[in-house]
Amino acid sequence: MFGRAFFSRLNIGPCIIALLLGSLVIAAPIVNAKGRPPRAVFLILPDAITPPTVNIEAEALGAGRYRLSLDTTEFMFTELCVPEAEAVPVGHAHVHVNGEKVASAYFPTVEIGPLAPGTHVIDVVLRGQDHRPIVGRDGLAQGVLSITVPHGQT
Amino acid sequence: MKRHFSMARLTAALPVLLCLSTPIAAHEAWLLTPDEIAELSRTPTPPLFRSQLWLGLAAVVGFALTLVALRLEPVIAVVEDRFIQPVWKKFGDFGPLVLRLGLAAMLILAAFGGLPRHGTAPWITPTFMVPDMQLTNVAGADVLILLQVILGTLLIAGLATRACGIALIGLSLAGPVIFGSAFWSYAPHFAAPGLILVALGAGRFSCDHVFDIDGAERVIAPYRQILWRVSHILIGVGFVYLGLAFKLTQPTLLIAILEHSEMPTFSLPMPVIALVMTGVEILCGALLVTGRLVRPVALAILGAITFLAIVLGETPLFHANLYGALIVILLAGRALPIAHRVAPAQRMRAV
Repeated sequence: MFGRAFFSRLNIGPCIIALLLGSLVIAAPIVNAKGRPPRAVFLILPDAITPPTVNIEAEALGAGRYRLSLDTTEFMFTELCVPEAEAVPVGHAHVHVNGEKVASAYFPTVEIGPLAPGTHVIDVVLRGQDHRPIVGRDGLAQGVLSITVPHGQT
Repeated sequence: MKRHFSMARLTAALPVLLCLSTPIAAHEAWLLTPDEIAELSRTPTPPLFRSQLWLGLAAVVGFALTLVALRLEPVIAVVEDRFIQPVWKKFGDFGPLVLRLGLAAMLILAAFGGLPRHGTAPWITPTFMVPDMQLTNVAGADVLILLQVILGTLLIAGLATRACGIALIGLSLAGPVIFGSAFWSYAPHFAAPGLILVALGAGRFSCDHVFDIDGAERVIAPYRQILWRVSHILIGVGFVYLGLAFKLTQPTLLIAILEHSEMPTFSLPMPVIALVMTGVEILCGALLVTGRLVRPVALAILGAITFLAIVLGETPLFHANLYGALIVILLAGRALPIAHRVAPAQRMRAV
């Protein structure tokens, strides 16, 4: 009898909302405590895994074209992409020139161009099998190279 | 004095913040440039999102405002009865039509790669319902493409609409199996329109109605209100999940997207804006789950989706499923009115 009266007076909607907010206030700071980058964007490697690195070397092929050699450590290239990748340093690389994506590299060499005469910033980010950029304990697995295409090459 | 000025700025910004409280799902992350991605990888979580004190205070304020809104519910209900109820009676059939066409557009465009992820050329990579879910290297991709085309075509025609609703629910449940947990961001917001189609049928502007072939209507009738309520709960759960998974626990992503959009901030710190957006989205979702203030919440979310689509330069088709579902909810309200359309067969009997 008492229980029925109690529940009839109790407005269940606000109670659910209060309970939800209370739970989130307790849980969110615990989840956010590590301060890691957003997992929706980045493939975050566990601290125990040595972070991969990438260095870029560019070989001019003429007519503004370049062959990039991606010298990686602790990283394995694969052509296989999956919807949801495991947090391991396996995948491919995205190649950007001046902030525009120009190629996906599934092997350690990739050709780009023709590039217009002038200075270009080439930016390579190692990606997991689900295309998320890989972040290790040292940050984003990224290599940057600046090249200058001489006039009269294109 | 300074505090009063800040309060005034916050008050001025509130309508914009409410408008912006929309589901920022995974696909918005693709809008970020490589430089923004690199910057995002270095950005620490704002202290506001790591402090139980500040989050607790924000929750208390949000809850107090919700209670005030709930106290106003009877007043709002009178306004709804006066202004929206007649619209539903007159134009109720446009609700299912908008929902069907929106869903059909999404499904067919996705099947042909016409709704591509930002940065991907159109008409090259087919996707599964949403731009994020690319059908490359997915087993059974051809079947999924065909299913989307068939489903979209039937929805446009309004043929076997309740069965299409069930199929849509099936595809929503298949999504997490095919694409993993990433699809849970989308599943409730596709399953709910499926339930709405099962509950409401195709409406007057459909082959089902014209040829009087909606055989399932009588079977569904006793369960219409339940399906209707469950659809609200699913949409609400979807928003709570998005608020929790993509905003509350990944605030730097939300802040990066807001900075990318260059929206007006009224000099408010980005973490504060992000927290307000997070709170509003979670509260809107919770209100839908509890079945309170359903129409105002639907209206608020519709405004928010539209505003964000404009600010980010996205096509509204990315959220066509939500547009359809929320327009129907806005028109019909918390409980479905008694069927105001008489099926042709019944009409004949009545005559």
